Amino acid sequence: MVYNTAIGILQSAEDAEDVAQEVFVQVFESIHTFKGESKFSTWLYRITVSKALDHLRKKKRKKRFAYVQSLFGADNQTIIEKPDFNHPGVTLDNKERAAVLFKAINQLPENQKIAFTLHKLEGLSYQEISDVMRTSVSSVESLMHRAKNNLKKWLTEHYQNND
Amino acid sequence: MRTKKQIEQEADKTLNSFDGLHRAAPQPYLFTRVKARLMRKEKNAWSTAFSFLSRPTVAFAMILIALFVNAFLFFEFRAEPVQASGEGAQMFANEYNLTDNTIYDSTVEPE
Repeated sequence: MVYNTAIGILQSAEDAEDVAQEVFVQVFESIHTFKGESKFSTWLYRITVSKALDHLRKKKRKKRFAYVQSLFGADNQTIIEKPDFNHPGVTLDNKERAAVLFKAINQLPENQKIAFTLHKLEGLSYQEISDVMRTSVSSVESLMHRAKNNLKKWLTEHYQNND
Repeated sequence: MRTKKQIEQEADKTLNSFDGLHRAAPQPYLFTRVKARLMRKEKNAWSTAFSFLSRPTVAFAMILIALFVNAFLFFEFRAEPVQASGEGAQMFANEYNLTDNTIYDSTVEPE
């Protein structure tokens, strides 16, 4: 559950493992703060999502810094583009399409990305997602609607350009 | 060259490509690694304390407090009036008859 959510958001098996470890350490250290107001799984999802987002932001910061450094010629390292991500749970005949979809998900704003990932990869209901994201169900519905629209737009453009 | 409808169908297919997806499972040694990480953390209680103190907000707050205390003490001491230093010594000397220190200081009564 933790690993699957993390891998969906981060799109990297190594990063997902790191984040999963961080989540369990955090749970161990702050279990006394869990008051039982929400389900334990909701609390766990919340920690996983926030840790995964922190990890993503840190990575983006590093990437930006490396780019700026390369502009000033301080570092001769070449910036390596991330290869397509292949989720280990995807069926073989959907592998290529899923990789394109993951690429498209990466273009979504944070909230839409979280809602879409939790719904599609974790199979959470809109109610459960709203608990994790601390919003209303209607907000989640709206996020999902916008996410699907954006993804469709991106995918249509992608297939038009690659035609 | 595909038509617009075909492209849309393609996009829809891709959008539904997560259907039938299995959950990703971590490597079997994840628990061992978490355990090792927790043990490493326990050993490093001092480094945690130092890392807390070296946080920019904490460090900045501590510098501000130190500056505030310094300023307070500085103005507090400067406000105190300077006491005449000779007064106390004179009283002490009178009390113990120490006013005539040398033979030259003592007055000899003429016979």
